Amino acid sequence: MEKHSSRIFNEAHVLHQLEHYLPSQTPLKDFVHHNSLHAFQDQKFYDAIFKASKMFGFQVTIQLNEFRKLYKINRIRREILESVIKERKGEQHLDAWLQKALQQQYDYNIEPRIGRLRALWKSHYHIDLDNLVQPLLFRILCSFLDQGVALWNFPFEEKGLLGAIRTLEQNSFAGFIHGKRARKLLMDSSLELADLLKIVAGDEAFFEQYLFDQQFAHRGWSGMVATVEHRPESLLYAKNISLRELIHLELIMEIDALDRALGTEKWQPLALVAQAEPMDLFAEAAISEFHEVLMIWQDAFEWSYYDEVLAGLQHLKGFQSQTDEDIKDVSFQAIFCIDEREDSLRRHIEMVDKRSETLGAPGFFGVEFFFQPSGGKFYEKLCPAPVTPKYLIKEKETGPHHRKRELLYTKRSHTMLQGFVITLSLGLWAAVKLFLDLFRPKMSPAISDAFAHMNMDAELQIESADPPTMENGLQLGFTVTEMADRVENLLRGIGMAERFARIVYMVGHGSSSANNPHHGAHDCGACSGRPGAVNARVFAFMANHAKVRELLSARGMHIPAGTRFVGALHDTAADEIAFYDADVLPQQLAKAHEQHQNAFEEALNLNAKERSRRFASIDTQADIKKVREAIRRRSVSYFEPRPELGHGTNALCFVGHRGLTKGLFFDRRAFMNSYDYRTDPDGRLLLNVIRPLPIVCGGINLEYYFSRVDNYKLGAGTKLPHNVMGLIGVANSSDGDLRPGLPLQMIEVHDPVRLLILVEHYPDVVLKTIGAQDDLYDWFKDEWVHLVAIHPDTNDFYYFKNEAFYLYKPVKESVERADDVHYLLESAKEMETNYIVDATQENLPVHILTE
Amino acid sequence: MHHLLPFFLIVPLAGFLLSLIPSNQQEKPIFRIAAGVVLTHFALLVALLIGWGMAGFEDLHWKGFDLYEARSAHFTIDLFFDRTTAVYFSVTVILTFMVLMFSRFYIHREKGYKRFFNNILFFYSGLTTILFAGNFETLLIGWEIIGVSSFFLIAYYRDRYLPVKNALKVVSLYRVADVFLLYAIWLCHHYFHKSITFFDLNNLMPADTPLIFGTVFEITIPMAFYVVAMVKSAQLPFSSWLPRAMEGPTSSSAIFYGSLSVHIGIFLLIRTYPLWHTSTWFLVLLAFTGIATSVVATLVARVQATVKTQIAYSSIAQIGIMVVEVALGWHTLALFHFAGNAFLRTYQLLVSPSVLSYLIHDQFFHFTPPQHQKADTFWEKLKVTVYMLSLKEWNLDTLMYRLLWMPLKMIGNSITFMTARMAVWIFVPLYVAGVVLVFQREELPQMLLRWLPTALAFISLLMIIKAFVKRNEARNAWSLVIVSQLFVGLAIAYNEQFDPAQVLLFYSGISISAAIGYRTFYILEKSGESTMLDRFQGHSYERPRLSVAFLIAGLGLIGFPITPTFIGEDLILGHVHQNQYLLAAMIGLTLILDGLAVYRIYARLFLGPHEKTYHEIAYRSS
Repeated sequence: MEKHSSRIFNEAHVLHQLEHYLPSQTPLKDFVHHNSLHAFQDQKFYDAIFKASKMFGFQVTIQLNEFRKLYKINRIRREILESVIKERKGEQHLDAWLQKALQQQYDYNIEPRIGRLRALWKSHYHIDLDNLVQPLLFRILCSFLDQGVALWNFPFEEKGLLGAIRTLEQNSFAGFIHGKRARKLLMDSSLELADLLKIVAGDEAFFEQYLFDQQFAHRGWSGMVATVEHRPESLLYAKNISLRELIHLELIMEIDALDRALGTEKWQPLALVAQAEPMDLFAEAAISEFHEVLMIWQDAFEWSYYDEVLAGLQHLKGFQSQTDEDIKDVSFQAIFCIDEREDSLRRHIEMVDKRSETLGAPGFFGVEFFFQPSGGKFYEKLCPAPVTPKYLIKEKETGPHHRKRELLYTKRSHTMLQGFVITLSLGLWAAVKLFLDLFRPKMSPAISDAFAHMNMDAELQIESADPPTMENGLQLGFTVTEMADRVENLLRGIGMAERFARIVYMVGHGSSSANNPHHGAHDCGACSGRPGAVNARVFAFMANHAKVRELLSARGMHIPAGTRFVGALHDTAADEIAFYDADVLPQQLAKAHEQHQNAFEEALNLNAKERSRRFASIDTQADIKKVREAIRRRSVSYFEPRPELGHGTNALCFVGHRGLTKGLFFDRRAFMNSYDYRTDPDGRLLLNVIRPLPIVCGGINLEYYFSRVDNYKLGAGTKLPHNVMGLIGVANSSDGDLRPGLPLQMIEVHDPVRLLILVEHYPDVVLKTIGAQDDLYDWFKDEWVHLVAIHPDTNDFYYFKNEAFYLYKPVKESVERADDVHYLLESAKEMETNYIVDATQENLPVHILTE
Repeated sequence: MHHLLPFFLIVPLAGFLLSLIPSNQQEKPIFRIAAGVVLTHFALLVALLIGWGMAGFEDLHWKGFDLYEARSAHFTIDLFFDRTTAVYFSVTVILTFMVLMFSRFYIHREKGYKRFFNNILFFYSGLTTILFAGNFETLLIGWEIIGVSSFFLIAYYRDRYLPVKNALKVVSLYRVADVFLLYAIWLCHHYFHKSITFFDLNNLMPADTPLIFGTVFEITIPMAFYVVAMVKSAQLPFSSWLPRAMEGPTSSSAIFYGSLSVHIGIFLLIRTYPLWHTSTWFLVLLAFTGIATSVVATLVARVQATVKTQIAYSSIAQIGIMVVEVALGWHTLALFHFAGNAFLRTYQLLVSPSVLSYLIHDQFFHFTPPQHQKADTFWEKLKVTVYMLSLKEWNLDTLMYRLLWMPLKMIGNSITFMTARMAVWIFVPLYVAGVVLVFQREELPQMLLRWLPTALAFISLLMIIKAFVKRNEARNAWSLVIVSQLFVGLAIAYNEQFDPAQVLLFYSGISISAAIGYRTFYILEKSGESTMLDRFQGHSYERPRLSVAFLIAGLGLIGFPITPTFIGEDLILGHVHQNQYLLAAMIGLTLILDGLAVYRIYARLFLGPHEKTYHEIAYRSS
């Protein structure tokens, strides 16, 4: 950010600043995880978070007393705390800083800069301006942006927000703005924001501060408006609105409210009553001793876990019975998303079928496109959010998706006479339906179903015509060369260029859940928050394509003729799997596939069991079939606010071959991207592999981090009172602000630690790779994610700090072992409360599995 | 069969008390107690229905006992069961059971898991009491319980601003209804010269003979019940409280504000039907209110872009139709309609978060951009006007504010010249003199005696208004509430033959409460906490126990059922003569405000976002 030296009001600049700092979460139909403090990402992590805290009053770490309690229960280890202090403060100051960390009393109240100017309305004029303006303003915004809750659209919306309000005021016998002066201001379309600000704030020097105070009093709505303005495609029902219009309207409503409460022109702008100079919101925040103590604790908390992980990796070597290379005759290969929720399923599959091999790649499988289901009126993006695809994949016309209607959701029940008939006729049915939903929950049209994203048996148009046809600027399907490029890129990237089993499964993932406005956050992050079934199918099609294989052969990648790729979708909530186009497998393979299917089923049973230990409603020790059924039922239960726990607990991201981690129990905390340094000695492929990880996995991790440390301001709070607003977001009340961020139920298992990316390659190669792109490099340099290079020859760990790699020796000397994973899961303790000190105890330490 | 009736009240109350025992983490026992209560109720209900059916569906009446008895007044617990109770209670049991099942895992790990089930059980006890009440006094107990538990269900998320603000808003209206109910009881007392039971009302009524006629009671009694029923069932002009009550977890909003609580007005209308069914003007008034509400609420529901608000208004619209049905005497239809609406709205609210993905999916396949609005004709302009009014809920929310609170604030602010200290110095001696003189009341001039009670009640009212608008130390407002209560007692003492026992009973409740209150302020101030009322302090974050203690004291002070003050209050109205409307109005107003002032003190001190910022604090706008 540039420095603000001048106090001259520049409207465009201030609007730009506001947009930069406001939350950028899109309407909830899509959910793309991102760093909640993205506005501060040009600074080092700690500088950034403490500045954000000073500006906006966020909590940015867990509380000091919570760190101390974690220390007491040995969740933060003494030796790690000491080594952190030594590293930060030098050995000679160890005792002094230990005392500060453990005992010193600090005043930890945060006095944010935001809101101080507008607080004068209350303290000086005894008027609660927000109460007078916000309820109606929110109603107008919600109705204007509404995607289809109301039965009656906002009139004149095509004229934009201000245009619509002006036309409404002119053409109706009622009004939103009552005072003469305010109405005149509203109708005068020549006014700039500065003209209005002059009335409320007075002196130009206060304008920026006033606008920040005003917009951050409802950052949810303001952020939504700014996002919709810049990404109109984030709404299906497009809306013509801008942040500028919102501010314009709000200022007029404020003037109106003030005139009515205090008498027209009988009040003075705030500049004249302010005792202080305008405040520089963006000034650097001083780092106090208290902040330094927090940094020490946060580092110690993170390293207490990382150290255990590294120790686990170090000790694993002695226990590994087999790694990929040892498997002589691979039964099948399965490529999963790198998602940390697939960690456990991969582990179980490898255990059930010892000859199987699993790999990880970002779940869009390197094929980026828009998707249009048959009968759909819009396109859906199926690739990471920053990518804009040039391709379109359509379902062949088979008639629209047939979805049954849910009688009780009918909007007719909200009208008077039809409502009368419906209450009398369907009222009793509602009671029966509720009873069934409670005791026999099953999939229904109102539940988001991961498998319904694409018709199971729909035909996709994947190969383009020759020459390719275009639709709305997008190419329909991929040419053979384009397909070959993508298949080659993906397979080489994950180090799978030579060994192919007879069947290679491409397993995308999605999540089914009921009563969950945040369901998109549980789907595949690499597919813009949607299920990855189409991508899996598309990739399988490409890799099976005869001409593609010819082309690949020419490029030196020989996929045996007998090898088939099969697309699949794993429902991470229900723990169900579906395979696509398996009916066209040759007979021999079909038989093998049947066996593999059994292996998948068995692994899913185990996976369900592993997940069930965190769910109060399920007894982990019960019969495994019952556990699996209970898991499935959760995903279709309206009363279950935790159909699954999403990315909660994520902390690690491995980039390396499976042998590095096979046999370790990470408790589903690790993203795993397959990569083989041997096929890429100079790191040419590595850049493409690493590049998306900070933004995708780091984005997920930081969103969980901030939603956990301040669930009230940066998270969405508990889900239970949420009210769906205009199908774009949730708020707590009928008159509340939108709540971006993650709800409590998603983050309560999460330990707020930054992501540690571990790359198996020579440190100098890793350094060269990440240094190739500035925006990539900054993630590591500014410590928003941690990076460790694992030296392939020596197995030593090199930690990246201050732009260089340093050798790190794990402090922990022994690693827990488990010879029976069932026992480990069954004996694990469930958290007593979701308070961090209790909650973290549910997360199991790293274990070496020795069975 | 009627011997079963008391068990319906005992079971939930016992369950409520039992549910206070487990700790918040003991979710299973908490849930089991709650479910046990409802299942026991279900079994009892089945037994009762069978027995009742075999006896030919005759109304059941359980003559209760006197909770308190004095020379001139009784407070009798009395129970009653007829088909209205049967329908209402069956729906209540079924819905409560299902919502409890729903909440079992839904509320899992909330900081207030236990608090939630405590409140549900308490609310349920109140509701059961209302449904089984055999006379107005018993009904009033249930009524008050519902009022208090509503406050806590709405302010369940007590560390946020909006729930607390809205809880105060809703409970203020409830309090108005409560006092009108108290009036109605007072009027009935004077009309019937006894505590009339519903059994008598339903069964002893000579066919087609109007029960009340020819007197001022013909207007006052139905009107008092009218206000009570319209407030509780969110009819015009009181509708706007309903969407604002939906601040708690979806499941509690669904069952209480979506269905059960909001239909209680209809229940009351059916109960009091014998009192006004021949009064044509009243039937017209009811029908008019019902139709107007239904039309307005439907329009509001059409433009609402938030799911729960939309459901709230659709529900209000149907209740409007029920009001008409009751007025027309179609009670069977009204009962059916009630059951259907209760089930449907509960269901719709429970699944309201699903609407997002359901409708987005729908839109993805079926979206067609809407027609542009025209503005060329009068008709189009009228449509646009209706849109704007409906978006603003026809200004009902601001209307409530202006009608109810602005006048009080204005009066309160106009007596700011009188400081609390001054008030105490003037009125305490005055009070002492009053107490001394009351023993010599025989010697006072007749003229003075006639006006003295009203004058004293007026002082009491001034005190309480002042307490209500106080913005500085809580202690001052608290003192004013107490002084106000003392003057009410004194006014009564002068009004009739002085009965020290009754006034003492009333005072005994006040004095304990008062002491706990002062102790609370002392503890807070000693540890450097603010006790100012100019903002929400949120002390319950650090001092949950103190908050509970103060709450109980507060409830005692405002005459919550079963506290001595409650009985005192009821008795006091028993001592106001039937022609003393002014006195009754003033005491009634004092009682309303005294409740509000105490709720306000409690909310400002203990609820809302915590004033300290070392931990996560919610935005004010959330």
